[in-house]
Amino acid sequence: MRATGVGASIQRGGGYGRVTGQQQYVADIRLQDALQVKLVTLDCARARIIAIDTDAARQVPGVRLVVSAADLPQPVARFGPQFEDRPILAVGETKYHGEPVAAVAAETKDAAEEAARLVRIEYEELPAVFSLEAALDPAAPLVQDPALRPGDPLAGTNVLREHRVGWEEIEAARADLVVEHTYEFPMVTHFAIEPHAFMAAPDGDGIAVWSSIQHPNWLQKVLAKILGLPLSKIRVHAPDPGGGFGGKQHAKLEPLVALMALRAGQPVRLVLTLEETFQAVRRTAARVRVRTGFHRDGTFAFQDVAADYLLGAYADIADRVVSKGSYPACGPYRVPAARILARSVLSHTTPSTAFRGFGNPQVNWAVESNIDEGARALGIDPLELRLQNLARRGEAFIPFDTPADGQWEQTARRAARLIGWGTPLPPGRGRGIALGIKSGPTTGLSYSTVRLLADGSVIVYAGTSDMGQGARTIFAQIAAEELGAPLDWITVVMGDTAVVPYDQQTSASRSTVLMGNAVLRACREIQSQLRAMAARLHGMDASLIAVDRGVVRLPDRELSTLDVLKPGLGRLGGELIGNGEMRKDEEPGHPLGGSAAFFEFNCTAVEVEVDEGTGDVLLVRHVTVSDVGKAINPLQVRAQDEGAAIQGLGHTLMEHYIFDEAGRIRNLGAIDYRIPTSMDLPLELVSDAVENADGPGPYGAKGMSEGALLCVAPAVAAAVRDATGLVIRDLPLSPERVWRALRERDAAAAAVTGAVQPASVPVAAATGGAPSGR
Amino acid sequence: MHTFAYERPATLPEVVALLGRHGTDARLLAGGTDLIIRLRDGTLHPGVVIDLKRVAELCPAIREEDGRLAIGATTVMTDIAADPRVRRDFMALAEAAAVVGSVQIRNRATLGGNICNASPAADTAPPLLVYGAEVVAAGPGGSRRIPIADFFVRSGQTTLEPGELVTAIELPLPRRRMGAVHVRRSRRRGHDLASVTLCCGVDEAGWTRLAYGSVGPRPVLAVDESGMLADPDAPEAARAEILERLFTDASPSPRSMRASPAYRLAMLRTLGARALRTAIQRLAEE
Ligand SMILES: Cc1cc2nc3c(=O)[nH]c(=O)nc-3n(C[C@H](O)[C@H](O)[C@H](O)COP(=O)(O)OP(=O)(O)OC[C@H]3O[C@@H](n4cnc5c(N)ncnc54)[C@H](O)[C@@H]3O)c2cc1C
Repeated sequence: MRATGVGASIQRGGGYGRVTGQQQYVADIRLQDALQVKLVTLDCARARIIAIDTDAARQVPGVRLVVSAADLPQPVARFGPQFEDRPILAVGETKYHGEPVAAVAAETKDAAEEAARLVRIEYEELPAVFSLEAALDPAAPLVQDPALRPGDPLAGTNVLREHRVGWEEIEAARADLVVEHTYEFPMVTHFAIEPHAFMAAPDGDGIAVWSSIQHPNWLQKVLAKILGLPLSKIRVHAPDPGGGFGGKQHAKLEPLVALMALRAGQPVRLVLTLEETFQAVRRTAARVRVRTGFHRDGTFAFQDVAADYLLGAYADIADRVVSKGSYPACGPYRVPAARILARSVLSHTTPSTAFRGFGNPQVNWAVESNIDEGARALGIDPLELRLQNLARRGEAFIPFDTPADGQWEQTARRAARLIGWGTPLPPGRGRGIALGIKSGPTTGLSYSTVRLLADGSVIVYAGTSDMGQGARTIFAQIAAEELGAPLDWITVVMGDTAVVPYDQQTSASRSTVLMGNAVLRACREIQSQLRAMAARLHGMDASLIAVDRGVVRLPDRELSTLDVLKPGLGRLGGELIGNGEMRKDEEPGHPLGGSAAFFEFNCTAVEVEVDEGTGDVLLVRHVTVSDVGKAINPLQVRAQDEGAAIQGLGHTLMEHYIFDEAGRIRNLGAIDYRIPTSMDLPLELVSDAVENADGPGPYGAKGMSEGALLCVAPAVAAAVRDATGLVIRDLPLSPERVWRALRERDAAAAAVTGAVQPASVPVAAATGGAPSGR
Repeated sequence: MHTFAYERPATLPEVVALLGRHGTDARLLAGGTDLIIRLRDGTLHPGVVIDLKRVAELCPAIREEDGRLAIGATTVMTDIAADPRVRRDFMALAEAAAVVGSVQIRNRATLGGNICNASPAADTAPPLLVYGAEVVAAGPGGSRRIPIADFFVRSGQTTLEPGELVTAIELPLPRRRMGAVHVRRSRRRGHDLASVTLCCGVDEAGWTRLAYGSVGPRPVLAVDESGMLADPDAPEAARAEILERLFTDASPSPRSMRASPAYRLAMLRTLGARALRTAIQRLAEE
């Protein structure tokens, strides 16, 4: 294979522009005469809106428009990818802290901000629920108006939906050991570096909208419905986002800015602050109870998983997060009997949405940790126990789904080898290992058009959003490989619904497989045109000619693409156009509406050092290995998993929302919501991939880059346990939480031995990372 | 952001005159890393902001004079952390300056701003207390010196009089050899505001000076002149008792979300014991 094509570690297309500030993100695009929008919110979570007085706001010089729900077309439209529950602006009641009640458009940002402060809202704060306990209390106030769910028996509760999956009777299963524990996963936010930004402008008899959205075509549909316009009159510009991680999948404030632009008759622009973004998107928190039955030899008897996920005030895509994330709760294992119950619980908090891993990290944290406990209780090495139960390739480990699609034991063994599993450790250190699985897309539809131009250069049209994952580079590599063009002669066009063919969405690590196949098919269509061209030029039957990876093979010689294209097109020039479609249809009756296109499989193994004086957990070495089928670009594959691993360290070690009694996020913003920086990386981070070309994507590729996030928390917690003996079932493993657990451990030990605890740290003994017994 | 008038005086008397004219409606701007945040979030809305960066008398500088190292109020952390004289005689101050925020912040953040903002978590406060610094203030009545131990009142509040500003911070050059270290506790290794800051200095006469912040309304200095603490051979129990006494002024707020009072107090002790060991070691290596 050529150094530029498939399998080459080419630097990411557009990477230079990203790091030098040349790339135009939505917030960088300046439209002439654009008005600046500022949202108006209340200082509490849930309130009844009594009156809105915009007079003073309208008096601020430069203010053009002030809108509240009453100023919008009535009834105020509601939208959402699963339930149409989110109003364009709060109607009568706010349901979470930060929910927009009104919006101001003004000539300057300062004027908009000042006017927003002057919008006077009379309101009455109402009782609200911010936690699972509160939301599930039978007397809890309802988050969602039951009228939105007519006929639903759950409509009188805060449980939006229940999802049940299982096989065989767990009650009938006999087990030698049953391990049951409950695990908590905190609320965390995406923290994309690019701010969420939205613009809209009247565009002839339609509208143009710019958004940092991941799913431009989906947004186009939402806007068409709300505005009552045909799809062709809605042009969505979706410049490459600067990080999305799921937070930018679905429409949020685009309907509002679109209506404001139409009302104002000129462009409007809204760029969220980081604080507003915290209030707009987050991951679904969860409490997961796991009951695992083991046979004495370490094989599983059953898994019984009950997961309550805490959603926000509107469903967004989060109920799908719950159903799809909990569905593979039994992991990549052979589990004879299983019962999984997952509930979507609404609360008066920031609406949760898709976030890298899509509901799986929450259950995987719980289930893998529980397996670790079982292994210890049985005296079996946690890696061996996992390998013993691991589904072998082709095994229908989830009875009604795609069978195991990889040689997963290779991945686990590679990670174990890279961490030095089983080799001696210095004191104060510990190791942990975990496996993780995520179901890939269950349905999908991607189209691509590829144009081979007269000089042999290529334009690829693909509706994927490249938010940093490197899709542009992958598609260019596929086209280079198939059409024999140099990589820098390939242009990939994305992010404009008026130009680029339809793509369902950029999510679930799908694009390399689904859009990649669409690009591949479009290229192959061009290849067959080249074949016909060569047949015509050389006066022979097309069946004698083969076109493969940019080479045209005649019975007696090989020609390049250009050797055929130039004479074939002739003096008028022109081009060859290929179209590709990749579709994965719904499967009626399947619990998720479709089986997995592929599984993402990862093994993470870590070595940690715990500072017993402070509770600090230092990642000495972090190994992440994924089964990717085929790494079309190994550099990108490694780096994507590095990113996922680090993002996983965020919720594992430091990230979480902190609320006050009124449901306001206290650590709103970068100062007190901490994400890992370069200083917080593992001392050594090893990212590797297993490639057996056994995926459904081009050249055997599978989707990847969520997998490396699935196992971080359970692997780190297991390592902390190995180092200290502590079992912590709450995340994050912040220094203070670990320190508390250490004190409890010491107090318990003292109680047993009757020893008196020293009131303070001995002056001489408090050295760095003081080791202790295991 | 609220609108405000912006003044950029060229001389110290002009600053003093402007402060006199605008009173509490004026705010001084040095690096702006504290001030701009509060202007943006609306917790401060001064009518006038007076920029100190072009004041001739305040040009950032570190000078040795009359047995003192004088650090101009507008000297930034990056320069303090790198200065060979600071590193030679006041290593713990260099260490503190080197952990303030990130590289970008340190290129803007001034020493004057750090102490005048008077955050209990200000990183330079503990070493300045340990080294016995003096704050040089200028005002309508001329110039005066304030011992650093008398400077801090509570967050945002110092003993500067209305109309006064800080022109320099002076450190007496050590007459006795001292080993000192600055340590801190944060929620991550990357830049973070500290939930405990602590500086420990041990000198050749056996005195231990311990200063700590972020565990009460203002940074605290505590001194052991008995020589016991600095003596690794002294009885362990006696040393522990002295160390414990040095921490009696710690009273962390229960309202903070960065760390609970229990954790802060425990970390004060962990960091204190570790810093003491390092300080003794550094003195020995001098
Ligand atoms: C991301 C970030 C991280 C940070 N991390 C840390 C940290 O780790 N440790 C730490 O200690 N601090 C930290 N800070 C706070 C800040 O950077 C420091 O306090 C800095 O030293 C302030 O200096 P400045 O020149 O920027 O002050 P400014 O913001 O210009 O001023 C601060 C205050 O002091 C007043 N002032 C300034 N100069 C004078 C003067 N000469 N006389 C009288 N009053 C004056 C101003 O009016 C203002 O009220 C951080 C800040 C940010 C934004």
